[in-house]
Amino acid sequence: MALIELNEVSKVYGFGDASTLALDEATLTIEKGEFVAIMGPSGSGKSTLMNVIGLLDRPSHGKFSLDGRNVAKLRPNQSAKVRRDTIGFIFQSFNLLPRLSVLENVALPLAYRGVSLSKRLKQASNMLERVGIQNREYFLPSQLSGGQAQCAAIARALVNNPKLIIADEPTGNLDSAASRLVMELLAEIHKTGNTILFVTHNPELTRYATRVVYMHDGCIIHDEKTALGQVAATARKVLYTLSTTTEDDDLAGVSALMMALPNKPTVRPARKPTKRRTAKPTVRRKSKTAKAAK
Amino acid sequence: MRSLTRGHVKAGFDSVRGAKWRNFWTMLGIIIGVASVITIVSIGEGVKQQISQQINHVGKNVITVRPGTIRTNSTQSKSDFSVLSGLSITGSLRDTDVKTVADNKTISASAPLAAVSTDVKGDHATFNNTFVIGTSPDLPELINQKLAYGVFLSVDDEGMNAAVLGTTIASQLFDTDVPLGHSFKIHGEEFVVRGIFDDFGSTPLSDDANYNNSIFIPYDVAQRITKNTAVVYEILAKTESASAVSPTLSSLQKSIKKNHGDQNDFSVLRAEQSLAARSNVLSLLTNLISGVAAISLLVGGIGIMNVMLVSVAERMHEIGIRKAIGATNRQIMSQFMIESSLLSLSGGVIGVIVALIFDGLMRFFTNLRPVISWQVVLLAFGVSLAVGIIFGTIPALKAARKDPIEALRSQL
Repeated sequence: MALIELNEVSKVYGFGDASTLALDEATLTIEKGEFVAIMGPSGSGKSTLMNVIGLLDRPSHGKFSLDGRNVAKLRPNQSAKVRRDTIGFIFQSFNLLPRLSVLENVALPLAYRGVSLSKRLKQASNMLERVGIQNREYFLPSQLSGGQAQCAAIARALVNNPKLIIADEPTGNLDSAASRLVMELLAEIHKTGNTILFVTHNPELTRYATRVVYMHDGCIIHDEKTALGQVAATARKVLYTLSTTTEDDDLAGVSALMMALPNKPTVRPARKPTKRRTAKPTVRRKSKTAKAAK
Repeated sequence: MRSLTRGHVKAGFDSVRGAKWRNFWTMLGIIIGVASVITIVSIGEGVKQQISQQINHVGKNVITVRPGTIRTNSTQSKSDFSVLSGLSITGSLRDTDVKTVADNKTISASAPLAAVSTDVKGDHATFNNTFVIGTSPDLPELINQKLAYGVFLSVDDEGMNAAVLGTTIASQLFDTDVPLGHSFKIHGEEFVVRGIFDDFGSTPLSDDANYNNSIFIPYDVAQRITKNTAVVYEILAKTESASAVSPTLSSLQKSIKKNHGDQNDFSVLRAEQSLAARSNVLSLLTNLISGVAAISLLVGGIGIMNVMLVSVAERMHEIGIRKAIGATNRQIMSQFMIESSLLSLSGGVIGVIVALIFDGLMRFFTNLRPVISWQVVLLAFGVSLAVGIIFGTIPALKAARKDPIEALRSQL
């Protein structure tokens, strides 16, 4: 039985004329043990999909079963319990509670489960050892580097032994070295049998995934299996053939990824690829320098 | 679940400590409310205790005659307010009443108390508004008071310019420690000090003057120097035995009524009654003022609610995180309830401490002896906790019902 089964799931925000279709009849099945990367331009519904799968949001229509249980219409308290017991969240901005120590942060999900204080601190400590920052136990989150903070967040996501880990751009706020560290850690967790779902803008990171799902305007438009250690075929196009976008594209908010999507006609700028680099920062840097030049 | 509560309590303390000043101002309403309620109740309680000590001091078989009608609980007054108005003096006692009481067969000792308001000239200074009381030789026996030095006025002193002083006025009038035999002037006449009273126990908030500050002279001398205008504000009388009190009471009632032309413009009271009237007024005042103070508790509670609402808005992101990692609505709610309860409870604790300080200051600077009972302290804690819970509910509900996505999205 699949871990996640989405069947024509839609999510509508707002009412009447102001309504937006954030998720348009998405159908997706994810088996246990998959390491899925979700890619797509901003506003394509990646985060909404994550929120729906993570039970932070209820779908407007459609069927959704998690681990064999129909969870589309759960009450807030029930979905909180499912989140607590089966899902671990990792966020782009780490989302550690600033006033608690790293150890207390990691132990927090256990507290909501009702584990005794000494037990949960011990478990949290073990988890921090596993992610390699046990020596930072009593630091406050503000005293950690970005990579360390994300490791602590991963420890917090893992501490309840969840079946599913959802990471919304886990490397979005990290430099490349820290990104690697975090992704290696996720890969290690994946090896122990966990199912991981992560959103990324960085095609390079699809190396870690076993499957890549592309989204656009709330629809899942492409879904491919990929070998571990290799950049996914579609993502590779973005990475190697389109080093950057034109300035007009930048102003219009069109990313390279969007233009590289298979069923869209791509407009190629007449520019030679320079060095291999990650897509997103390049775009930003280019546009800045372009403006400065003006 | 217990360990989670402990975590919430710790987190609550952290957040109370985190914004010290803001929380102090928030708690101020509770602090003032709790401190004032405790202080007022303790003053009332202390005065009541002092009054009941006075009853024992005066003795059970002492009868008091006063001008005006004083309604007490024994006559089933309809509301407490009649007690207040009852204390205003409407009639007066006359010379004949003093004689009537003194001549009653079952009465063994009696003393009028006649106020002479006049200037008193001592060694150095003139004191105006000193309380000069014309009375009879029986007074020390009636009020169970001993003399520190000398003797009280005797029957032989009638018509003589002799005086007995309270301790305070004695030390103010003269340089010497024991001014027996010294003389001073009342109403231009020379008076000789016969004796000095022991220190009177305090008579707080009572309508009696402070006897420590009084000068006692013979009743007939008082009437003579004032040309019979000294006001008899009280006649004390003592029966031979406690069992004779009731019949004496009714016979006095009858004979004084005859003196007053069949008018009931006076009261004949037992010791308990005369003091009960006073303590009734006192409890009424205590209740009124405590009620006013309780309003400040309410205002304090509203202040706490506002701060908690701000705190919930400020920590929306935190609420989102907690919900994302599996906190149920109830767990979020209890977290904020615990925090607001802690806030108001610490206000209560500080309020009790402030009340204790006030208590000490009052004992030091006034003759009040406030009594802070543990029941009042417990009640104060209970009320401040209740305020925290009641006014914490709305912010906590707001926090608990927040949509997790919306909460997560709200950055500082």
